[in-house]
Amino acid sequence: MRITRRHLLASIGGASALAALPGLPAFAQERTIRHFWWGNPTRDKNTFAVIDLFQKAHPDIKVSGETIGWGDYWTKMATQTAGGNMADVIQMAHTFIHEYVGRGAIKPLDEYVGNGISLDHYDDGANEVGTIDGQLYGINIGSTTQAIPYNIKAFEDAGVTADLLGWTTEDFADACAKITEASGGAMRGSEDLSLYIENLEVWVRSTGRDLYAPDGGLEMTEEDVRSYWEFWGGLRDDGIVEGKDATVILDKGMAELGITRGTTAMTFRYANQVGAVQSLMTDPVGAAMVPQRPGTSNGHYVLPSMFLCLTRDAKDIDAAAAYIDYWISNPDALKALGIDRGIPPSQLGRDAIAPTLSEVDQNVVAFFGGIQDKVGPVPNATPKGAGEVRDAFMRTGTEVVLGNMPADEAAGRFIQDAEAILIRANR
Amino acid sequence: MRRFIRRNAAGYFFLSPWLLGFGLLALGPILASLYLSFTRYDMVSAPVWDGLGNYHYMLEYDRRFWKALEVTFTFVALSVPLRLAMALGVAMLLDKGLRTIGLYRAIFYLPSLLGASIAIALLWREMFGIDGVVNQVLAVFGIEGKGWITDPDTSLYTIVVLAMWQFGSPMLIFLAGLRGIPRDLYEAAEIDGTSKWRQFWRITLPMLAPVVFFNLVLQTIEAFKTFTSAFIISNGTGAPADSLLFYTVYLFNEAFKFFRMGYASALAWVLLIIIAAFTALAFATSKYWVHYENERD
Repeated sequence: MRITRRHLLASIGGASALAALPGLPAFAQERTIRHFWWGNPTRDKNTFAVIDLFQKAHPDIKVSGETIGWGDYWTKMATQTAGGNMADVIQMAHTFIHEYVGRGAIKPLDEYVGNGISLDHYDDGANEVGTIDGQLYGINIGSTTQAIPYNIKAFEDAGVTADLLGWTTEDFADACAKITEASGGAMRGSEDLSLYIENLEVWVRSTGRDLYAPDGGLEMTEEDVRSYWEFWGGLRDDGIVEGKDATVILDKGMAELGITRGTTAMTFRYANQVGAVQSLMTDPVGAAMVPQRPGTSNGHYVLPSMFLCLTRDAKDIDAAAAYIDYWISNPDALKALGIDRGIPPSQLGRDAIAPTLSEVDQNVVAFFGGIQDKVGPVPNATPKGAGEVRDAFMRTGTEVVLGNMPADEAAGRFIQDAEAILIRANR
Repeated sequence: MRRFIRRNAAGYFFLSPWLLGFGLLALGPILASLYLSFTRYDMVSAPVWDGLGNYHYMLEYDRRFWKALEVTFTFVALSVPLRLAMALGVAMLLDKGLRTIGLYRAIFYLPSLLGASIAIALLWREMFGIDGVVNQVLAVFGIEGKGWITDPDTSLYTIVVLAMWQFGSPMLIFLAGLRGIPRDLYEAAEIDGTSKWRQFWRITLPMLAPVVFFNLVLQTIEAFKTFTSAFIISNGTGAPADSLLFYTVYLFNEAFKFFRMGYASALAWVLLIIIAAFTALAFATSKYWVHYENERD
């Protein structure tokens, strides 16, 4: 083994108790990087396993992992960003990457690609979404797509035979009716998905438009929203989706979903989360496409669900780059990560995980493979303020679900609010 | 001046940890937030001076600001009197001089200790959910329940009930106040044949007025600041339909969810002014209804 200055200093540092004392940075040469991600119990376990593997391979680098749920993640991230102590490596979502890049909180990675970080094995175009203004800010660590996780047993019991990779909203309504009837009303067909803007997105995109325009304004129309809410209102009136009390609880945890509680046969999630749904229930779970309006198609798209990013506050960039590279290039690491963050966007990754997949993961991978020729283009970038528009959608939709406002009036109100929000967020 | 310093140096030396703590951890952030309230600040890039822009937007265009005020004022108006009545009632029961009074005090105080915790808020959400304990109890009496927390007409009241249940700290103060009322007043009233009810209105309440005043001011401030229960029960959103959009929940979301720290600072200052105004109002009216024992001579 070649002894570098780093190794030498690290061993001196390790032997010396002084190195552990705060306030003596001159001696603290042990290399440390912090990795911060939002997680769930499964994901956290997998990620810590990768950290252990990495530390064994790089004994001179210590990685401290920090994890928290999605909701609190962004609060903590904003606070750390303001305080100038962001973790070196962070997990980023496509909904927020523009926010953070636009404010200079993330470092571009271009100079490290081919020089510490290898992306040679990545699929063509896999890093398109993480590239902003020609520079690579986020490395895709998993691809996913919208999905309807469904209870396979409930579908069989009710004799639903629709083609789940290409069904329409009519087929979907039919399946909901059958399941509700077969269970005598004990299990409704689906959760009421009218408050999920991610589900509306498929509805809007099947007409060829996106939620947002390239210039950061709205592309969805009042008519899109109205028809969407009216469709779900119809299912509610028929009593074949879950009632309003379960619906108006927003941003439910996995254990609060209708499908995991056994009160519905379907819900909406991204494909990579289907495994987490399965871990909370005994009936087998499969993944179906989000149904599309008859005569339209391509509402789905392949989405990089998460990125690895290097932050403005990263100090030991070589160590962070080595860590990032290990994550995306080491077969053992990829195997430990599984598909909880999405399908690996490289053949190397897919080969690594193939032998270890559970039944539900196999279902998800098969689903993902099956929709490849049915997805539309990646949508326009999510503008600043999109998170707030999402809240406004849920808020106004709640009024419709509760029967306080008709769908057409609410749709008009929502579009107005969304326009005002975008103007304010981007001024 | 020099003599003043020499004489008091030791005092200031021993005070210095507190002074430093106050300066760095309280005064500094307070002044910083005052400055930020006149800026647009997204927590990442530098703040941009915006004059009264935040305040103007708030008062002129922000519908949710007014909604948050409505929710918070409703909550304060309902929860403070109910909690104080509950606290006084229990304090009077405990004032009977039970031998195990220490135990009861502890038991009744417990909800207040737990009250601000996330666990209790989660418990509340379960209890008042559609298949929660409350509905199960109602079902025993043949009453069909509803989603108390998911119906905007009732969701706020579940938090009022929670606030009522956390009567422990005003209760302890009432208890101390009740102990301070001279027994001979009641004995004299008994001899005159005054009813218990009349004794309460004519002796207990007037003698207790300073304590009532103290509790009223403190509990009003507390109520304006209510956050955890509303935040947890509504999953941080103020849902359903903004019925749980407490002022602090709105402020938190503006700051940490939508990166508007400047606007949130302005919201915080408005809340401060509102609380200060209510406190001042309480003090201004107090001379008409609060009398202190030593004023008699």
